[in-house]
Amino acid sequence: MNGSKSLGLMLLTPAIVFVLLFFVAPVILTAVFALTNMSTATGITGGAYQVTQSSLRKLAESYGQAELANTLAETRYTVNEEGLEAIAADGADARLVAEMRAKLGGRSFEKRRDLESAIKTLNSRPRNTRALKALSDTFHRSIVNERFESADAMLRATTNLGVALSADQKSALADATYTGWVWTTQNFTRMIALPDTQRTLINTFIYVFATLAIFNTGFALVLSIATHYMPARPAGIFRAIWLLPRISPPVLYVLLWKWLAWDTGFLSNFLANFGVAPRNWLLDNPTNAWIFIVLINGFVGASMGMLIFSSAIKAIPGSLFHASEVDGASRWQQIRYIILPQLRWPILFITCYQSLSLLTSFEYILLATEGGPGGATEVWALKTYLTALNNYAGNLEYGYGAALALVLVVVGVVLSLAYLKVFDFKTMVRPPRIEQ
Amino acid sequence: MRILLKNFGKSFGAVNVIENLNLEIHDGEMLALLGPSGCGKSTTLFAVCGIHKVTAGQILFGDRDVTHVPSQQRNVGVVFQNYALYPHLSIAENIGFPLKIRKESAAEIKRKVHEMADLVQIGALLDRRPAELSGGQQQRVALARALIRRPDVLLLDEPLANLDAKLRLEMRSEIRRIQQETGITAILVTHDQVEAMSMCDRIAIMKQGQIVQIAAPMEMYDNPVSDFVAGFLGNPPIAFVDGALTGSVFESSGIRIELPSAAQRNGGPVKLGIRPENFQPEFPQKVSGEVTFVESQGRETLYDVRLDDGQILRSIQGHAVRAGVGERVSWGISPDNILIFDEKGARL
Repeated sequence: MNGSKSLGLMLLTPAIVFVLLFFVAPVILTAVFALTNMSTATGITGGAYQVTQSSLRKLAESYGQAELANTLAETRYTVNEEGLEAIAADGADARLVAEMRAKLGGRSFEKRRDLESAIKTLNSRPRNTRALKALSDTFHRSIVNERFESADAMLRATTNLGVALSADQKSALADATYTGWVWTTQNFTRMIALPDTQRTLINTFIYVFATLAIFNTGFALVLSIATHYMPARPAGIFRAIWLLPRISPPVLYVLLWKWLAWDTGFLSNFLANFGVAPRNWLLDNPTNAWIFIVLINGFVGASMGMLIFSSAIKAIPGSLFHASEVDGASRWQQIRYIILPQLRWPILFITCYQSLSLLTSFEYILLATEGGPGGATEVWALKTYLTALNNYAGNLEYGYGAALALVLVVVGVVLSLAYLKVFDFKTMVRPPRIEQ
Repeated sequence: MRILLKNFGKSFGAVNVIENLNLEIHDGEMLALLGPSGCGKSTTLFAVCGIHKVTAGQILFGDRDVTHVPSQQRNVGVVFQNYALYPHLSIAENIGFPLKIRKESAAEIKRKVHEMADLVQIGALLDRRPAELSGGQQQRVALARALIRRPDVLLLDEPLANLDAKLRLEMRSEIRRIQQETGITAILVTHDQVEAMSMCDRIAIMKQGQIVQIAAPMEMYDNPVSDFVAGFLGNPPIAFVDGALTGSVFESSGIRIELPSAAQRNGGPVKLGIRPENFQPEFPQKVSGEVTFVESQGRETLYDVRLDDGQILRSIQGHAVRAGVGERVSWGISPDNILIFDEKGARL
């Protein structure tokens, strides 16, 4: 390898490491997590086996083993060697132990009363009721809520219980009672099945499209073109004002909006003068919430487009404006035929960049409405965040969250490719045909 | 159409670029505004086309006062120095742009575009983009766009400045041909005296916001009103020699010349202007000096001759080299063609 090549590689290394570490690896991990049912409950390491009310329900519903589930749920009394040894150790009469082993050994009773009746028929039965109860208690067997480190241990305990299992039942029971995470595609079927998903999808579309169209490109274009035709000083001041939302801290910026919109805020106080009852304008209905969400994000987002478009307009040679003027073009025609076509690349850039960043940005929504009211402003990225990383229920569903995030990744990549196609990237970088 | 500037003035803020300028361009005439950088020639042009607002005076197209008419309604065609073609439009769309703005029918635009393209000979390039054209081709497109709506006046702002020497020569005659074919009134802004002299019917030479002289090219060359005009026209440039005039005899420490047709002036300091073609070996009034510089231009050879007092005369002669650097020569001046200026530069 020659020197310049290895130098190039060396210089590229930080970039490669960065891309691998902060883009490729997270995407791969997301894809991996998306195929699991990891959550706070399962943990991210392996799990144990536990027969719980919910795992028994699962056994009945998902594995069709209702009978087995009922059996396991019942408290049983089984006379086995373990129990006999226990009563012997407790100081029970040796004759009673021997008689029980001979007559009742291996038998299982569904109810305590049945066991007690059987004991009463024995010759060396206990004399008083208290002793009888203590005796029958010792043979009480149940695996509900008991935790086993392995499937084998649980199955052994089941057998001890006196419940015989077929091979099918064994595997069903092991699956149903496993508390760790497992590989599954259920995240995706669940995503498709849930009506919530469609709602979130529509929300995301409204959010991205409205903010992008109205503010990030639309209003940014209006600002940049308006300031282009303004004298330099007012134009500069005007642009600086529109930069303020971008440079104010997001938390404070959203807080200002909340002060504006709260039922004791500026809007309500001001409108009270006209007899309008005070209310929380931000959260009182979905339409208002959306208007605020678009305004909050748009005021921040417009500044970037404004700067990019302004500098792009400045880069248009002044003689083009002069030429179009003497060619008879009015201002509108100048905007339509000179400025807008020249802004094709910047508009592509802003549309791409901002739609992708809007798609994944939810901080202002989180701060302002937290997806409310009633999930009306919950967008995909926010839903992902709430599902996987932060919610009231406390069960963070990493697997489902990753599946949601994976959708964002795929949409982002597909959108990027689509933009390049729509804006005809290839012809724009085509070399010119010059003939001298 | 006749163009008239009456007492025209233009200032940018506190800076007066042009004051009280009067200029008439005849119908169908091509006039050059010639002058060094910053003399106000482009400012005048931009005022005529309406890009610059006029601060004083009047501009008339024919009898129509257009002083305060916006450029959109002036009906002028402009060729800019960098051509100012719309990079995102095809050549056909560029040429047809002024008509499209006027909402003429597509068929009409197409017909006129082809007509114009034929006139400027770029019919084969109509579907290209400006970036795919060479400088000369772009120049032709700019001309076609300026001419397509039959403007009252065609304004050319340094149209040849961005072309290489060979193309410049070709486009010089092309622009002139097109102007004469269309019979349009035209104003050419240039700092190149060769362009002005070869392309235009008349030249208005400008200096510091003032028109110094307006005349036909040869008339201006032969009878410049000042040393500035004389120095601006002609390549290689005229040489000036300072000295004093006594009667009809010019004297400086280096030379003494008898001037038959000179204005009578006693003992005053004057400046003689001697063009290189009037300083030749065969001419009568001999002057001697040392050759300090020889430049062979192929068909001709240019010599700088330093007189004994250090002043320089230039001579341009035929192909054969007659003297080398350092050689002493004694060549003659044709007294009839000497231009005499007073110490302020005004022609005597």
